Amino acid sequence: MTMSEPRTRIAEDEHGRRAGFDEIEVGRSLGTLEWTVTEEMIDQQCEMDMDYHYWYSVASPWGGRVAPPQLSYRPPRWLISRTYNVRGLFYKWEMENVRAIRPGVKLVISGTIADKYVKNDREFVVYQAEAHDPQGDLVFRTRRTHVLDVVERSAPRAGRGLDSGVKPEKI
Amino acid sequence: MALLTADTPVGHELPQIARQFRLAHFRKGAEKTIHTDYEAARREGLPAPVAVGPQVAALIFQQLRLCFERGWIEGGRCDLTFRRPVFVTDFCAAQGRVTRREDTADGVRLHCEVWVENQKGDKVIVGNASGLVS
Repeated sequence: MTMSEPRTRIAEDEHGRRAGFDEIEVGRSLGTLEWTVTEEMIDQQCEMDMDYHYWYSVASPWGGRVAPPQLSYRPPRWLISRTYNVRGLFYKWEMENVRAIRPGVKLVISGTIADKYVKNDREFVVYQAEAHDPQGDLVFRTRRTHVLDVVERSAPRAGRGLDSGVKPEKI
Repeated sequence: MALLTADTPVGHELPQIARQFRLAHFRKGAEKTIHTDYEAARREGLPAPVAVGPQVAALIFQQLRLCFERGWIEGGRCDLTFRRPVFVTDFCAAQGRVTRREDTADGVRLHCEVWVENQKGDKVIVGNASGLVS
């Protein structure tokens, strides 16, 4: 007979205690951040995704290079990580590409906690964010859902994780 | 030139975009993450390191970029659900089909059903996407 290891949810990591479901406040602002895309970020995104296009690499109808829209993934994730230490896994991703993301243009990105819920004995958090350019025009909006833990919520929290949702704020 | 136009019929299949993932695709320096390290993944309740979700979803984004070009970069929308983990050595292929045509104030919008299948044929990402066509 083999003894199976008891299932636990990680309690902490190098950035401290993991955020608990009860602490997550629906409606809470995640604050804002300023983000300027660089040519290097566009190169990195294209290499990471192995997706190359003339508009991403050389020039586009917008007058220069533009970023793959999915470059917008990280800043909203940084916003939630500034407020809550959440590792978990990505569950849902809504995105709307309203305007092209151009290098050298400073975007102001703001976010909020939109919802939280329990399903299949797991805890989910929903957050949303919008990015505006210096003219105040909307560039992109997104709404994401993360499951806080892979392990069921009925499992106790214990132990230290090697990974954290809090990452250096770079692509 | 965009693969889809206002004349593309409902039911039209989107081009398949496939990739064989490797653990090295997710490595960032010496970081031990659930995407690169077996012990880090195990502690979180995962049997093995998992792919970074957005890097898998990027197969769909490449598909949509080919289909809509300008109408994806400005006017593109998607709503994806990551149904099950993709492991770092999985083979994945994005697929899709046109489901609906909509006349809007911004022009014609084509709606598509999109998904990513792994090597077992499991749909690991499912969702809907749309873009503007001319």
